[in-house]
Amino acid sequence: MKKKVLAVLLASAMVASLVGCGGKEEAPAEAGTEAEAEAPAETEPEAEAPAESEAEAPAEEEEEAITATITVWGPSEDQSEENGNWLPTMCEQFAAQHPNWDLTFEYGVCAEGDAKATVTQDVEGAADVYFYANDNITDLIAAGALSELGGKYLESVKATNSQTIVDSISVDGSVYGFPFTTNTWFMYYDKSVFSEDDIKSLDTMLEKGKVAFPLSNSWYIQAFYVGNGCTLFGDDQMDEAAGINFGGDNAVAATDYLVDLVANPNFINDQDGAGIAGLRDGSINAIFSGSWDAQSVKDALGDNFGAAQLPKVTIGGNECQMMAFAGSKAIGANPNCEYPQVAMALAEYLASAEAQQAHYDMRTVVPCNTELLANITGDPVVSAQNDTYDNTSITQPFVAAMGNYWSPAENMGKALVAGEVTHDNAAAKTEEMNTAMNTDVAQ
Amino acid sequence: MSKASSAPVTGAKIRKIVTNSIVHVILAILAFIWVLPIFWVVLTSFRAEKGSYVTTFFPQSYTFNNYKKLFTDTTILNFPLMFKNTFVIAIFTCIISTIFVLSVSYCMSRMRFKMRKPFMNVAMILGLFPGFMSMVAVYYILKALNMSEGSMIPVALVVVFSAGTGIGFQVAKGFFDTIPKALDEAAIIDGATRWQTFTKVTVPLSKPIIVYTILTSFMAPWIDFLFAKVICRADAKYFTVSIGLWKMLEKEYIDNWYTSFAAGAVLVSIPIAILFLLTQKFYVEGVSGAVKG
Repeated sequence: MKKKVLAVLLASAMVASLVGCGGKEEAPAEAGTEAEAEAPAETEPEAEAPAESEAEAPAEEEEEAITATITVWGPSEDQSEENGNWLPTMCEQFAAQHPNWDLTFEYGVCAEGDAKATVTQDVEGAADVYFYANDNITDLIAAGALSELGGKYLESVKATNSQTIVDSISVDGSVYGFPFTTNTWFMYYDKSVFSEDDIKSLDTMLEKGKVAFPLSNSWYIQAFYVGNGCTLFGDDQMDEAAGINFGGDNAVAATDYLVDLVANPNFINDQDGAGIAGLRDGSINAIFSGSWDAQSVKDALGDNFGAAQLPKVTIGGNECQMMAFAGSKAIGANPNCEYPQVAMALAEYLASAEAQQAHYDMRTVVPCNTELLANITGDPVVSAQNDTYDNTSITQPFVAAMGNYWSPAENMGKALVAGEVTHDNAAAKTEEMNTAMNTDVAQ
Repeated sequence: MSKASSAPVTGAKIRKIVTNSIVHVILAILAFIWVLPIFWVVLTSFRAEKGSYVTTFFPQSYTFNNYKKLFTDTTILNFPLMFKNTFVIAIFTCIISTIFVLSVSYCMSRMRFKMRKPFMNVAMILGLFPGFMSMVAVYYILKALNMSEGSMIPVALVVVFSAGTGIGFQVAKGFFDTIPKALDEAAIIDGATRWQTFTKVTVPLSKPIIVYTILTSFMAPWIDFLFAKVICRADAKYFTVSIGLWKMLEKEYIDNWYTSFAAGAVLVSIPIAILFLLTQKFYVEGVSGAVKG
């Protein structure tokens, strides 16, 4: 592990000697023969792919015969027998719908949030079709790892999704994937403690029961600041030049509110899984988390399971709506793949209404197709997530400068929990945070 | 005589007892601090309550299910497969890198050649760079050699874990330096070749350092995360345990897998512990008795 540098030297010496003798033909020739049996996108000469795609694109209606191996990377739950084997099932169905395409699928395990790291490491050697979380989009585009949508694909995405979801996977007006679910956090609560009316206000909830909130997590703390009118990158979260506006009286009022919140004996900072553990033993009655915890919360609360959009809070006399960060998860096609038309069609199919329905049935992945959503009623998690997405969230900014947001926000949360922020220094600490958020670390 | 000396002896004795007690108390405290985290991991691996957050140090109830889950619940995180992968990689890495380290150290210790000093300096400097610096470069080199896909991945990992280990020769070289050269010379006078001197004289006298080398090289694949992640990428079939353990702590899995994560951590230490127990007796055998008279 230690001495990899020598490994590099030795290995590069080996490469040099290999390549030195045989010239360059050797590697591509080998890759070519392997390509049919193995992954096609791997070492195929780059020049070939675009030429082919152009030639074949017009013929797509007739679906000229293609024999290909398509690599698909998705989360491991989608490939587990226990959860219905969603991904392989869908891929086989896709292949059955295209009789002229003789497709073999290879599956890899890469959670949506890891796409950034795993795909950009080697874009050419990455999967042809992969799942990603929309906050990875800037890096993926920069690495040339996402195909832009056009024509009928673009129309279908726009037709089947709400505008906010389409926006979440668009950069500069271009759409880069097929969204299949929303990604945000909402509130789980114990119905025996809080009534339907109570959950509309965090302040009422704090009077009636114990509430845990991940205040020291920067994916959550903005709920209060944004709720009280602070903005990130303009009103649409896309305007990088507008910067982060977490300063001024609004922000100070939010900090003041949080100082009181931390002091409230009914408030618990949800850290290291304290919230869900508290739900289990009954010492906590409400937590804020996402659909990934739905099953655990159901197990903990049983019949008293409740989920809802975020409550309102009263900050400095104003009634404010807490706002979550919302994003989406999408399926993208790698422009470096050998048969882009197949990859695109597969990506579209995996995010189609049919596939989303199956995804929901097998794994309760909340769909985002507008028609499907209208049909699924009576599932509290689905409605909580969608209500949150529609009413109590802002799009999580994915402009590059957003990178400066996370640490200062987290530090603020930690300082609040540690009691370092008081009413006396709230203004100064807030200003400090705002300055840090608008300072580019790289410069 | 005994009477006369008894008074000063008891004084010294008391002083000795006091010193020893203080030393032992300090050692006990340090041992407690060092062992505590390991003890906690073992306790957690038997904890019946789910989740990562607990309010009590000792679990409220104990279970063996966390271990069972690791080996039965394999559809999402296939721990047995990862364990097998790592085990195979570790065995090959162990053999290859032990040979590399011992060969390089022996040459550096016993042979005299022109580039010896410069080589040792270069090796020293290269060793100062953190290994992960070359991570992506290593990946692309492996890719150029067609070793980044499919069943070549374990081979690639063995290469990565063992190819560069020869550079870590310093400790073993230091040990070989302590073996008197007179022994080598005696063997050569008796007609032994270099190879025979190494295998018949040096190796039998160097058991502690060989054991040390075997242990450290066997451990490398178990504890390395970065290279395994970069080389396996999305190929779940070839994941090693460290990738699996890391995945268990992702936000989607942590609540269900936390206690099994602790169980996995305990299991990882077992092969290393077994190897240690098997080789332990050689650890204490030093060079004592090698040179008589």
